[in-house]
Amino acid sequence: MSNATLERPRPRGRGAPASAEAPPRRRRSGWWLLLAPILAFDVVLFLTPLGKLVGASFADNAYQRVLEDPLVMRALVNTLTISLASTIVTVVLGYIIAMVLWRAGNVTRVILFAVVLLPFWTGILVKNFAWAVLLQDNGIVNAFLQGIGLTGAPVPLLHNRFAVIVGMVHCLLPYAVFPIFSSLTSIDDRLGLAARSLGAREGSVFRTITLPLSMPGISAAGLLVFIISTGFFITPVVMGGPGDMMIANQIDYYARQLTDFSGAAALAVILTVMVSILVAVYQRVLKAGGQHENN
Amino acid sequence: MTASVISAGPIPGTGRAAQGAIELRQVSKHYGDVVAVDELDLTVQPGEFVTLLGPSGSGKTTTMMMVAGFEEHTAGAILIDGKPVDTLPPRDRNLGVVFQNYALFPHMSALENVEFALRMRKVPRAERRQRAEEALDRVGLGKMGGRKPRQLSGGQQQRVALARALVFNPAALLLDEPMAALDKRLREQMQEEIKTLQKGLGISVLFVTHDQDEAMAMSDRIVVMRDGKIVQSGPPEEVYNHPMTDWVASFLGDTNLIPGTIVERNGEEAVVDLGGLGMAKVRDRGASGENYAVSIRPEHLKFRTRATAGNGCAATLVSSTNLGATVRHRLTAGGHDLQLRELSSDSAARIRPDEELWVGWDADKAQLLVLES
Repeated sequence: MSNATLERPRPRGRGAPASAEAPPRRRRSGWWLLLAPILAFDVVLFLTPLGKLVGASFADNAYQRVLEDPLVMRALVNTLTISLASTIVTVVLGYIIAMVLWRAGNVTRVILFAVVLLPFWTGILVKNFAWAVLLQDNGIVNAFLQGIGLTGAPVPLLHNRFAVIVGMVHCLLPYAVFPIFSSLTSIDDRLGLAARSLGAREGSVFRTITLPLSMPGISAAGLLVFIISTGFFITPVVMGGPGDMMIANQIDYYARQLTDFSGAAALAVILTVMVSILVAVYQRVLKAGGQHENN
Repeated sequence: MTASVISAGPIPGTGRAAQGAIELRQVSKHYGDVVAVDELDLTVQPGEFVTLLGPSGSGKTTTMMMVAGFEEHTAGAILIDGKPVDTLPPRDRNLGVVFQNYALFPHMSALENVEFALRMRKVPRAERRQRAEEALDRVGLGKMGGRKPRQLSGGQQQRVALARALVFNPAALLLDEPMAALDKRLREQMQEEIKTLQKGLGISVLFVTHDQDEAMAMSDRIVVMRDGKIVQSGPPEEVYNHPMTDWVASFLGDTNLIPGTIVERNGEEAVVDLGGLGMAKVRDRGASGENYAVSIRPEHLKFRTRATAGNGCAATLVSSTNLGATVRHRLTAGGHDLQLRELSSDSAARIRPDEELWVGWDADKAQLLVLES
């Protein structure tokens, strides 16, 4: 057997020659035709309805009406706090899973990937009702807690904010794991070796090398998860209590119970604008942080 | 670019004399059934520059990784300054490591990279800043401390890596093909700078490379490795001039290998029957095996007149190639293809195609070795 494979693979040298020059691009006049299908699709099915929605939201004093509704204000605050909490929990758990995936051997990695992807392939109703079964008063979690004598009576685990966050985190986890995992795998293994040879303990290697270099993955995961969180609709209904309704539930209420379409449209616009502002601020802050780091 | 910008000096801060003896006793590394390193015995004396030279897969990098503590050896013992370090994690071995491609921390400035080891050792902020700046000064990068690695050239990155590995006064320096990513001219410059720095600090170095020129230029001792074993070790000139096997002779530069049978051995010299090339008197360093050959470096083969005494034979010129400083002649003699290299300045109008050629060599420049392949 050749043992040429025993030496560590080496990354390509800095001086590696650049690939041969790209062939000159041929310009054709009809290139925009290639974009036509997706443009038509977007205009007909996305931009037009969105325009109509924005238009409808300005009818009948809709903004004033919904903003004076105390339930709407409550739902807005709920949306922000629940989304923020879910995002933090998801990113922390996602980071741990990504670390395990990163360090796992090939077989373990494949199995873990499948486990992480499972929520992706499962309908949200199935996931939420499954959690409801687990968390109910005579469910397996309460049975366990009573079995080990930690509690005498069932602990209320369902129909509250805790349950909503549990359900959301389960759905959101893959969106956090993958960006973080990909930023971890882009870290050169040698950096960790170098840090160890320079006297770093495992904890210091994580704090000074791994964590800072995986920040791009963490911030991407946080953004993605937060945006998705703000639109959750089924989980608050299935797993939350009356006080845990989010903005999507209010939109549903205005559209179906009150048949107040302009009110529902106004709520949708408010949610979109609010999230857009938060995303812009978030990216501005990240950019400033990144520049600070580069100087 | 200017000549050496690294000024060697005493280690700042401690004034501690660097010891840095590294000893490997019967060290092996097995990956399942595959033997990567096979019962290796190796000693690096304090202040010695030892190069592990071999092709990829020879186990040289694995050996270095075991010394650094990144790989566990499966048998044997590793000692640093006489103390076994087999169970010590890399952070407690006190060895400076420079990796191929340097492994600088991309999110830290050059100064922060150099400071890192001192930070891990809880050196107070002001002192560690001062020592890191001194270390950067020593490699000629005093003004570059604020730059990120990607804002530095390859040579500058390598100097930062050196400063980072030296700032905490390690017992020894381990260098893993540190110049593989540099172009030829910069590589030669860095070879000199590293050598100067090493001599100035008196620090022991274990150097890993597959480049025989680099090994020749820098080492006090070359350890040639093949398939996890040491095949020959000694000062560069000795390994080059007196290879023990045909593999070593070919790995370290060009050579003419002429198979032959031993007629007589008397310790220092041997008489070998080279078939079509006649009888030859050659150097004998006690190589023993089944088949033998004689190695004559192309630069040791000379054009002679037939009247000259000593080893020699008639030859026919096949081609001559001017390589700039030298001219390479290809010849056939007694059924063998031979290469002869001489300085271009000596070569002018010497050979006429119809002339009957005679080539010869000095007995002490021809080496008896074992034919392995």
